[in-house]
Amino acid sequence: MSEQNTGRGRGAAPQPPPPIPTPDPKYAWPAKPALLGTAVKRIDGPDKVTGRARYTYDINRPGMIYGRMVRSPYPHAKIVSIDLAAAEKAPGVRAVLAWKEPGAEVVYQGDPVAAVAADTEERARDAAQMVRVRYEPLPHVSTEAQALAADAPKWHSTQENTRAGVRQETGDLEAGFKEAAHVVEATYSTHVITHVCLETHGAVCEWDGDQLTAWVTTQGVHQCAQQFAQSLGIPQSNVRVITQYMGGGFGSKFAPDVQGLICARLAKLANAPVKLMLDRKEEHLDTGNRPSAFAQIRAGVTNDGKLTAFDGRSWGTGGAGANANFPLPYLYQFPNRRRVHTDVYINAGQQRAMRAPGHPQGCFLTEILMDELADRVKIDPVEFRIKNAPPKAPNQMWVEYFQQGARQFGWEKRHPTGDPAPGPIKAGMGVSAHLWGGGGRGTQAHVDISSDGAVVVRCGTQDLGTGTRTLVTIVAAETLGLPTSAVKAEIGDTNYPFSPGSGGSTTAASVSPAIRITSIKALDALFARVAPVLGTAPENVVAEGGRIHVKGDPTKGLAWKDACKHLGTEPISVDGQWGEGLSSSGTSGVQFAEVTVDIETGVVRIKRILAMQDCGLIVDKLTAESQVYGGIIAAINFALFEDRLLDRVTGQMVNPNMEWYLLAGMSDIPTIDIVLNNMPERGVIGIGEPPTVSTASAIANAVRNATGATIRSLPLHPHKVLAALEQQKAGGTQ
Amino acid sequence: MEHLTSPKVIVGVHCLNLRHKGMYVLSTPYPEESQFYDSYDATAYWCVKTQRGFGPDGLPVRPDCCQRERRCCDH
Amino acid sequence: MKAFAYVNATSEKDAVAALKFDGIALPLAGGQDLLARMKDYIDTPERVVNVKNALDRTAAPTSGGGWRIGASMKIVDLLEHADIGKMYPAIIAAATDIGTPQIRHQATVGGNLNQRPRCWYFRNEEFVCYKKGGSRCFAVNGENQYHAIFGNDGPSHIVHPSSLAVPFVAYGATFRVIGSKGEREVAAAEYFTMPTLQNVLKENVLDDDELLTHVMLPAPGNVKTGHYEVRYKASHDWPLAFTTVVLAMNGGIVQSGRVVLGAVAPVPWRSKPAEDALAGKPLNEATAAAAAEAAVSEAKPMSGNAYKVQIARTAVKRAILNAAGIKTV
Repeated sequence: MSEQNTGRGRGAAPQPPPPIPTPDPKYAWPAKPALLGTAVKRIDGPDKVTGRARYTYDINRPGMIYGRMVRSPYPHAKIVSIDLAAAEKAPGVRAVLAWKEPGAEVVYQGDPVAAVAADTEERARDAAQMVRVRYEPLPHVSTEAQALAADAPKWHSTQENTRAGVRQETGDLEAGFKEAAHVVEATYSTHVITHVCLETHGAVCEWDGDQLTAWVTTQGVHQCAQQFAQSLGIPQSNVRVITQYMGGGFGSKFAPDVQGLICARLAKLANAPVKLMLDRKEEHLDTGNRPSAFAQIRAGVTNDGKLTAFDGRSWGTGGAGANANFPLPYLYQFPNRRRVHTDVYINAGQQRAMRAPGHPQGCFLTEILMDELADRVKIDPVEFRIKNAPPKAPNQMWVEYFQQGARQFGWEKRHPTGDPAPGPIKAGMGVSAHLWGGGGRGTQAHVDISSDGAVVVRCGTQDLGTGTRTLVTIVAAETLGLPTSAVKAEIGDTNYPFSPGSGGSTTAASVSPAIRITSIKALDALFARVAPVLGTAPENVVAEGGRIHVKGDPTKGLAWKDACKHLGTEPISVDGQWGEGLSSSGTSGVQFAEVTVDIETGVVRIKRILAMQDCGLIVDKLTAESQVYGGIIAAINFALFEDRLLDRVTGQMVNPNMEWYLLAGMSDIPTIDIVLNNMPERGVIGIGEPPTVSTASAIANAVRNATGATIRSLPLHPHKVLAALEQQKAGGTQ
Repeated sequence: MEHLTSPKVIVGVHCLNLRHKGMYVLSTPYPEESQFYDSYDATAYWCVKTQRGFGPDGLPVRPDCCQRERRCCDH
Repeated sequence: MKAFAYVNATSEKDAVAALKFDGIALPLAGGQDLLARMKDYIDTPERVVNVKNALDRTAAPTSGGGWRIGASMKIVDLLEHADIGKMYPAIIAAATDIGTPQIRHQATVGGNLNQRPRCWYFRNEEFVCYKKGGSRCFAVNGENQYHAIFGNDGPSHIVHPSSLAVPFVAYGATFRVIGSKGEREVAAAEYFTMPTLQNVLKENVLDDDELLTHVMLPAPGNVKTGHYEVRYKASHDWPLAFTTVVLAMNGGIVQSGRVVLGAVAPVPWRSKPAEDALAGKPLNEATAAAAAEAAVSEAKPMSGNAYKVQIARTAVKRAILNAAGIKTV
């Protein structure tokens, strides 16, 4: 598929952002909030640290048994036969099923083939080993280079190894290069990493007749219910999905997934609740990954530092038959550009959305290039970026962040490329920028207020670990004028009103307005009942500081509990939904990194990171900052450590664990400073993804600044650092 | 949703079992997006029936192939 | 994990008797290696013999002025042993970064020395390599960035995983071994074996019914010691290369020395060229650099791990500088 893209893009003058819709003033966020934007500790923090919080992994049902999947050990093979007999007879086995038919093609290591359920986890594992599957191994491709080789075997018997992506051209490329005083030409790349959710994927499924209850570690309870129903061929009204606590998803948990479906089927077959949680190896092999990204780029710049032209040929792999495109060039304004992309397929697990899909790749490829261009024209990287950044707007604050961040970070102490200090330890600083859309809508909610003053907020959203339960509590408590302890938030259950899946940094922007509006509707109903008692009209009543009182006269009122006594046996019970004007989309951020590099070992240590970030109205300062910390730490792993390594000969993953699939430990995590720009006038905007985008680029640019050697590929493994230093000694890396 | 990163899936054209994240994550428009990069498809697709990126026929799942005459398509 | 019989031995004799078994019997101490291997179907013993209550877990001074360390001693206890720390600083330096605090509280000295290779081909059941009775070493044509750069004649190209083995060899330790045929003492340097087609299933001289019970450290004498590790990650990682040097001094001149490298060869790698380069030389930066160069002169890296030569060079140089009391970084 190929298409010409001419109308869209940055060739035309940038459009000003559209005005933010104004909310119904009745629902507008308070001008002087009591809780919003303050540092509220997680409502469920004590439950989590004491182990009272029950994750899917912790769900145990009476009579529950354990499921285990059988997966292809081969990256590419034809199934000759599946013999379940021995497994059926194995000790403790209660159900066995074949997931694939003989004759089917498996196209990656970990491709599901069969499953068993047994009365203990160990017996299930042993029985799974007794399922006899005969394979006819087929030739495979395990790297991009193998797949692109002239005589490459095909990843799938009927499919090609590549697929042309959209071809895009804007402006006049030739004229752009003619205008350039300097041209940089190089190949840049990022690698495949996996999501590594601390809680692995999985489910507990229990049937009561034709009613299915599924505890799933998922980013969308309602969305899982819909998929369970459609895939099992049962009415959705017969499915309940529950996710009370969750150990991370990062984009990989929007569906029941194969293991969820198998879990439900095993439970039906065995007539018993089944727990099927994947192990770490399965998690690496078959629950998604971030695709690789490669680009051969030619880019031009004028002597005074204006970008003129960008010519990029890109490719990448999302595994077996999956997309691998990404935004390129990223953020900065190249008036004349061409981009040709090819998806490459290999025999490996398929990609899934992973925290800012495409952005970390596009950002890295562009930002390293930016520093190389800046050096050509001998302009400071911050100044160079400011020259080429899109114009300022409320959600496009890069220029301000570059300036303010540089001051705070001590950028003036940065030396030019190559630390002149003696000794093997070289220090350097780097900078990088990012953006994200976000936005969010569609959430419904319900609020009950009882005559004893109890408040329950119900919403079918889910807390991935980001603090959504706390956010629901804060918004309701703020609106009702109560402390957070007086509000009970019930989420993570399809018995509660619909809310979309939690992804794309949309949850806060989708949920907060719904809770705000529903809480105000509840207050309206409460005021209608209490106002007569206060001898005034409902519109003259307010709720604040735990009291219902006459506007402007706190003495004329009742404590919340006393006011609620007037509800008698007829409680307040209202529904509400998201409305526009309380949330919006579009965030910007800039990050600075300082590193040291040991040039005798190639080992990189990160000293500090500074993140400048906006996210509209901050609901909870603590959980918002926590998102930034988490995003940066994940990006440190992307920059330095994580690498899904497939054996180039057998196509099997050599590091499907946490021993050789490296992740930062405590000592690898630097000082992280966060400047959150609170912009209440913009409403709530999610922050789950943006902070993870630019960290790796800032780190790589800092390594370049420290050593003078350019490493154009992640991760920044000592072997690459040493190789770049060697190359530099031999005559430079340009 | 109208985004640079996820094509529209149309009832009557595409298979009803085709899924991508954007269908479950309800976002609001981000109109300025096109100022910063051109459109690209980073989307991971899956089939509801198989819960994989492969249809019941074992072939990849994507909007350009999960439509009309494909045998496993459900309209 | 396949079902197995469990024997809780309480004496050396009982442990040895339980290991003499018509089938596969494996000793269990801290469990940091064996349990993972069993869970991953790398080993499927029919009998597991708990030896941690059978073996000495203390350290005691010897009549010759050295120390004797029980195989059941936990890494953390070794690490916190003030006398051993004073006399053998490189042992403490090596123990400090083993695994994580949790692992150091569970793992034992004997387990650290006898753990099986951490090679990712060995540790994944799909790869039936020489060490699992197969007929190839997957590292040769595969992903070998963490494999050997010395002693690469094959058939296996693992690096020995023990952090403690390296300083033990450098200090000239002897290991006490018991078995059904009695007791023997083996020099640490002779205990670990280079792979051959005959012995590739093991990394040391122990017979199936033998156990390492003690590490005997001689009195160090007038020595300067240095230890340096290079790690990719700062926490919880295997070293890329590390070195212990123990140098017998005559004034400011190195009389003789032991230079032992870890994570670079199938055994703790004693570098004769480096030792020769040190002998008779003043302990300074030039000597350190020359010895480091000599150490890597016999390196034969594989397709993807030439970078480890530079890392090994740095580890040797900095260990010597460390012994000399010269700040390295």
